Amino acid sequence: MRSRDFDPGGGGAAPWVFVSPLIAFALIFFVVPLGFSVYLSFTRWNPLGTPSWVGLKQFEYLLTRDDAFWRSVGNTFVFAFGFVALGVPLSLGLAFVFSRSRGKAVWRSIYYLPQLTNIVAIAYLWQFVLDDRYGIINRALGLTGLRGPDWLTDPVMAMVSVVLVMIWYDAGKNMLVFSAALEAVDSEIYDAATLDGAGAWRTLRSVTLPMIRPAFIFVTITSFITGMGFFALILAMTGGGPRGATEVTALYTYTMAFEDLRMGRASAGALILFVIIGVLSLLQFRALRERERRT
Amino acid sequence: MFNQTTAPLAIAAMLGAAIPAHADDAPLTVAMHYTQEQAAPLIACLEDYDVDGIGAEYRQITYGDYLQTVLTGRLAGQAPDIYNVYSIWAAQMVDNGVLDPVPDDLAGFVRDGYSTGTVDAATIDGTLWGVPTEVSVYMLVSNMALLREAGFDAPPTTWDGLREVAQAVATRNAQGRTETAGFAFGQSSSGAGLVHPFYALLYSEGGKVYSDDRSEALFDSPEALAALEREAGLVRDGIADLSVDAYDFPAGGIGMIVMANWLESEIRAGFGDRFDEDVAVSQIPMGDDWRTLQYAFFMGVDSGSDRKDAAWALVEHLNTPRDGGLSCMGEMLGQLGALTASTADNAAGEAPDAFTAPFVAALEDGRAISQPNVMQASEIEGLMAQAFERAMAGEASSEAALEDLDREVEDILFEFY
Amino acid sequence: MTTVDDVTHPARTGPATRVAAPRPRWRRHAGSVVKYAVLALGAALMILPFADMFVGALRGPADVYANPPRYLPSDPQWGVYARVFRELPMTTWFANSVIVTCIITACQVATSTMAGYALAKYRFAGASPLFRLVVGAQMFPFFLFIIPIFFILRFAPLMGGNDIAGQGGAGLLGTYAALCLPFVVTWYGVFLMRQFFLGIPDDLLEAARLDGASEYRIFRSIMLPLVKPAIATLTLFSFVYHWNEFIWTMTVTRAAPDLQTLPVGIYLLSGAFQTLDQKSLQQAALAVSILPVIVVFLMLQRLFVASNFASGVK
Repeated sequence: MRSRDFDPGGGGAAPWVFVSPLIAFALIFFVVPLGFSVYLSFTRWNPLGTPSWVGLKQFEYLLTRDDAFWRSVGNTFVFAFGFVALGVPLSLGLAFVFSRSRGKAVWRSIYYLPQLTNIVAIAYLWQFVLDDRYGIINRALGLTGLRGPDWLTDPVMAMVSVVLVMIWYDAGKNMLVFSAALEAVDSEIYDAATLDGAGAWRTLRSVTLPMIRPAFIFVTITSFITGMGFFALILAMTGGGPRGATEVTALYTYTMAFEDLRMGRASAGALILFVIIGVLSLLQFRALRERERRT
Repeated sequence: MFNQTTAPLAIAAMLGAAIPAHADDAPLTVAMHYTQEQAAPLIACLEDYDVDGIGAEYRQITYGDYLQTVLTGRLAGQAPDIYNVYSIWAAQMVDNGVLDPVPDDLAGFVRDGYSTGTVDAATIDGTLWGVPTEVSVYMLVSNMALLREAGFDAPPTTWDGLREVAQAVATRNAQGRTETAGFAFGQSSSGAGLVHPFYALLYSEGGKVYSDDRSEALFDSPEALAALEREAGLVRDGIADLSVDAYDFPAGGIGMIVMANWLESEIRAGFGDRFDEDVAVSQIPMGDDWRTLQYAFFMGVDSGSDRKDAAWALVEHLNTPRDGGLSCMGEMLGQLGALTASTADNAAGEAPDAFTAPFVAALEDGRAISQPNVMQASEIEGLMAQAFERAMAGEASSEAALEDLDREVEDILFEFY
Repeated sequence: MTTVDDVTHPARTGPATRVAAPRPRWRRHAGSVVKYAVLALGAALMILPFADMFVGALRGPADVYANPPRYLPSDPQWGVYARVFRELPMTTWFANSVIVTCIITACQVATSTMAGYALAKYRFAGASPLFRLVVGAQMFPFFLFIIPIFFILRFAPLMGGNDIAGQGGAGLLGTYAALCLPFVVTWYGVFLMRQFFLGIPDDLLEAARLDGASEYRIFRSIMLPLVKPAIATLTLFSFVYHWNEFIWTMTVTRAAPDLQTLPVGIYLLSGAFQTLDQKSLQQAALAVSILPVIVVFLMLQRLFVASNFASGVK
C-alpha cells in the first residue's frame, strides 16, 4: 500500500485505470468507425474488391437521382412522427391512470411484456394477428360484419400497422418513465393547488405538466431519435414493402450494404440520415427548452 | 463481485474464443436452401460419407437470403465448401470470384449426363461452374373440385378461359373479402411469385427480357406489356386478389395457380386422399403456342476452400447413381417431387406420377425456356416484382411501370455490360 | 403538443385555512371504473399477440388445411414444443443466446461501474471531456456503425488468420468476439452508474483514504456494495437488451449458423416457415425465444422500482 498525502480530488493513476476500457472502446468502436464511415462515403466499394475513390458522386447520386432514397426519407419521417405524435401522449395518458391504480406490479409486468420480447418475435406475432384473411383481428371484425383493413398488403395500412406495433412495443417503457416522474411530484403541491381552489384541469395544466416537463422532453427526443433510426421491426415485419411503402432510410441503407454490397453508397446514405436526425433533434430540444424558459 | 480485473479477463476470454478451431479434418460443408426435413435423404448420405477421415455436413441457408449470405459469409471466412447455386445468382458469384470452375474430368460427366438447358444454366461466358441438380418448371395447377363445382370439367387453355373460370370459382363473403379465390399469385419475399409467371407469359408471347448481349433491357417491348397486362388485369378486374397467397393452395381455397412442380409434396399433404382426383396440372393457358419458364440449380465449389479436390469428389459422389439406382441428390429430389436434371437419375427413377408428368413433358418438348443469367439478377428480380405490384394495385399504368423498370434495370446493366 | 400557461406557484398561496371538501363518492367510483377499464383494455392489447401465438402453435395439419383454416386448434398438438427442439437447431441458438448475453452483461456492468465511478468521484483531466463524450455518444444511432464496425472486425490485425495489415483472413468475424466486442461498453450504463455514484457522499471516500486503503480497494470493498441496486438495474437492462439484440448479430452471423442466437436463427429460417404446416412450428419457436426473458424479469421484478426509470431523466 502506498502512503501519500491526502488528495481531495485525484487518485493518482486510479481514475485512468478505471476509464481505460471506456477510452479504448471509444477509440475502436466510436471514433475510428465514424472516420471510416466518412471515408467510405467517398468511395465505391464492393467489399470483395478494393474501394475506389469517387469523391462526392455517392451523395450526388442519392440526393439527385435516387427517387427510392427520397421516398425512404419521407417514410422515415412518417414513421418517426407517427410514433412520437401518437405514442408519447398515449403513454402519458396511461401513466396518469397507472400511477393512481392499485396492483401496480401486475400492470407493470403486463405493459412491460413487449419490451422483454425480441423484435423478430414481435414482428411475426403481429404478422399472424394482422393477417388479412385469417388473423384474429380481421376474423373478429368479420364476425361483427365489418371488413377489416388489409393491414400489411395495403401500402398506407402497412405504414399504419408498423407505427402502431412500434407504439405497442414502446408504450409500456415510456409509461413507466412518465409515471416515475408523476410520482416524484410532491403530493403537498397538489394539496396546495387544491386548497388554492384549482380544478382538476387547471391542476393538470399548471402543476403536473410543468413538473414532468424534463421527462416529457426526454421521452419525446429519445422516441424521435429511436423512430428515425429504427428498422429491425420493419425489416422483419414487412421487409420494407409492400412496394417500398414502409422502407425507411436506415433499412434502405442496410439492404444496400449487405444485400447489394454497395458499401460506399450505403455509408453516404447513413451519414445523410444521421445529419438529418442530428439537426432535427437539436431544433426540437431548443424548441422544448425555450418554452420551458418562457414559463 | 466485480473488480478491476474482470473486464480484461472477460475480454481475454473472448479473444481466446476468437481464434477459430482450424482443423483440417473438419467435415466438408454443403450449403443448400432445402430444410433439414426436405434434405433428409441427402443428409443421410453426408453422414455416411467418409473419405480419408473427412466427413461432410449439411447447412441450410434460406432461399431468399442465399446470395447475400454467401457473399457476406465469404467476407467473414464462413463460406461453405459446396454451394447449391440458383442459376440467376451465378453471374454475380462468378464475377466476385466465389466459384471454382469444374475440373476437366468432371466437366465430361456433366456434358454427357445432363440436358442442354440445365448445362447452359450452369455455364457463364463459356465456362462450366458446377453440376446441375434441381430443375423447376412452371405450369397451371388447378383444384378440380372447385372447378367442377363451378361447372368446368377441364382447366382452361387460354387466358380468356382462365379469367372466365377464375371468376366463376371465386366467392366473397359479406364484407367483400375473398373466401375462395379463383386464381392466386405467390407472395414470396423474393418476388418470384409474380416474376416467374410473368416469364411464362412473356415467353408465350414470344418476348424476352434482355437483348442477347445483355446490354439492354426489353421491358419496354410490346410483348412485356402484353404479359404484364394479363397479370395486372386479373387484379384490376377483381379476378385475383393480392391478399390471397398461392401458398394457401394446399388448404383448398384457391382454384388455380401458376406454380412450380416442387410444391407437390405440400399440396399432397393438404389434399390427402383427394389429391389424385382433385389436383390437375396443365399447360400455361396461352393457347397452342404456350411456353413456360424453367430454372435450375447447380452444385459448385467455393474457390477459397482449402480442400477443393475433396469437395469436387463429394459433388461427384452425391450426383452419381449408386449401383444402378438413384444418386443421393436424385433420391432427395424424387421425394420432394422435384425434377432432377440428371439423365441417369431420370432413367433410374420411377416413371413420373400424373402430377409431375406434364412438367417433365414441358422440359422434353422444349417449351420450357431458361431464365437468363445476368449480373445483379436477384436485385433486378426484386425491382421487377415491385414494378408489377404497382401496376397490379393500379398505382401506375402497366406502361409507366414497365418504362420505369426498364430504366432502372438498364442503369444496373450499364454498370456491368 | 402541450401548452403551458403561467404556473400558479404553490409557494405564493397563503397558509391553508380550510380543508377542501372531498369529491362525492359516486364520482370517485365512476372515475376508478374508467381508470381500470382503460388499464384493462390496454393490458388485453398487450397480451393479445402472445395469446394468439400460444393458440397458433397448437394448430395441427387438420386445422391449417381446412378451408377456411380453423382458428382454435381442434386437436391441440402439444408435441410441437418437442418438434421445435428436434427439427430446429434450438439448443445451439439457445446456448449462443445465453453465452453472448452473459458475456456482454458482465462486461457492461464491469466497464460501467469502473468508468461511472471514476467520472463521479475523481477530478482528473479526463473527467469532463469523457463525460461529454458519454452523453454525446448516446445521440449517435446504431445504424451509423454497422458498416464500419463490420469491417473493423473483418480487418482486425493479427486476428483470425489476418496479417499485421489486417489482410488474408476473416479477422474477428465468425467468432463470439464479433458478437460481443461492439457492446462491451454502454454509454448509457456509464451515465447511469455515474449518477448513482454521485449520490454517495465524498466523506466515505475520504475516510477510507485516511485509513490507508488503496483506490482499487475503496472501489471494490466500499463503493461497489453501495451501488448494488444500480448494478442490478443495469444487469437487468443489459440482459434483456442483448438477449433480444437482432440486427448486429444477424449481420455478423448470417453465414455462421454455429453462432446464431434465437431471434437471428428464427429470422433467417423464416423462408422455411412459409408453408402452411410449418407456421405452428414457427409460433412455437417464437414462444421458446420469449419465455426465458419473461422468467428472468418476473424473478427480478422487485428490483425494478420506478425510480430506476427516473435516473435516465436529467
